[in-house]
Amino acid sequence: MAEAETDARRLATEARDRVRFEEEALELADQVFRVARRLVPSREEAEDLVQETYARAFRSWRSYTPGTNLRAWLMRILTNLNIDRGRREQRAPDTQPMEEGDYFLYNRLEEATGADDEERIVERLSQDSIVEALSNVPHDFRDAIVLVDIGDFSYQEAAQILDVPIGTVMSRLHRGRRVLKSELAEAAVGDES
Amino acid sequence: MSGFEPICEKCEERLQPYLDRELSETERLEAEVHLEECEYCGKRYRFEISLRRYVRSACCSEEMSPELKAKLANLRIAD
Repeated sequence: MAEAETDARRLATEARDRVRFEEEALELADQVFRVARRLVPSREEAEDLVQETYARAFRSWRSYTPGTNLRAWLMRILTNLNIDRGRREQRAPDTQPMEEGDYFLYNRLEEATGADDEERIVERLSQDSIVEALSNVPHDFRDAIVLVDIGDFSYQEAAQILDVPIGTVMSRLHRGRRVLKSELAEAAVGDES
Repeated sequence: MSGFEPICEKCEERLQPYLDRELSETERLEAEVHLEECEYCGKRYRFEISLRRYVRSACCSEEMSPELKAKLANLRIAD
């Protein structure tokens, strides 16, 4: 009798925890989608990936430790699913990304436009060209940029999500941003010189 | 200073770690002293800040559809 009562109470607590978990996870969906959208090439794939992520998260909610970072926990499921499904677009293995110094993009834009106002120069880049340039960055670098610069994850969180050391996140991020700027320079002013 | 000096090269190397707050205190101060007097590097640092903001807004412009949101809510197991 007393045992049945404890069981009932335990079930009620669990049900309540579960509802809370699901609500908190759903509140993060917009942010999860935004990151997913930049990790895969199309909107459809991002939507599928987010759905699979939530389906898995809701099934394995017990493995989430309350009070820890739920957004990072969800993102880890998402990046693992993305890798498992081989959804990453295939890149030619021998393409070495172009990587210039950190002033390269500014220098090229200044040369090409003759403008020397940094705000105006940034506006020469279209939003589409930025999205396109980011999609051309090799995925290891891009994942770091997407998590840190777009998803607002700390290096530490990004390292846990990607399962690599923090130093690797930092070097991928720095190199990735330089590749991104080289891609933007190419898109904005061509690569004839 | 207005052109590209050896110290500007060092400053270029430090652009990302500076903005990411990864420099040591000494390195940071060194960078700031240089940035204060070098318009060449100052412009490029300000450009980087605008660019980061711009990349973020360009890459976050697509919102999730209400349909997807409804689908996710339907995946809930609890009721």
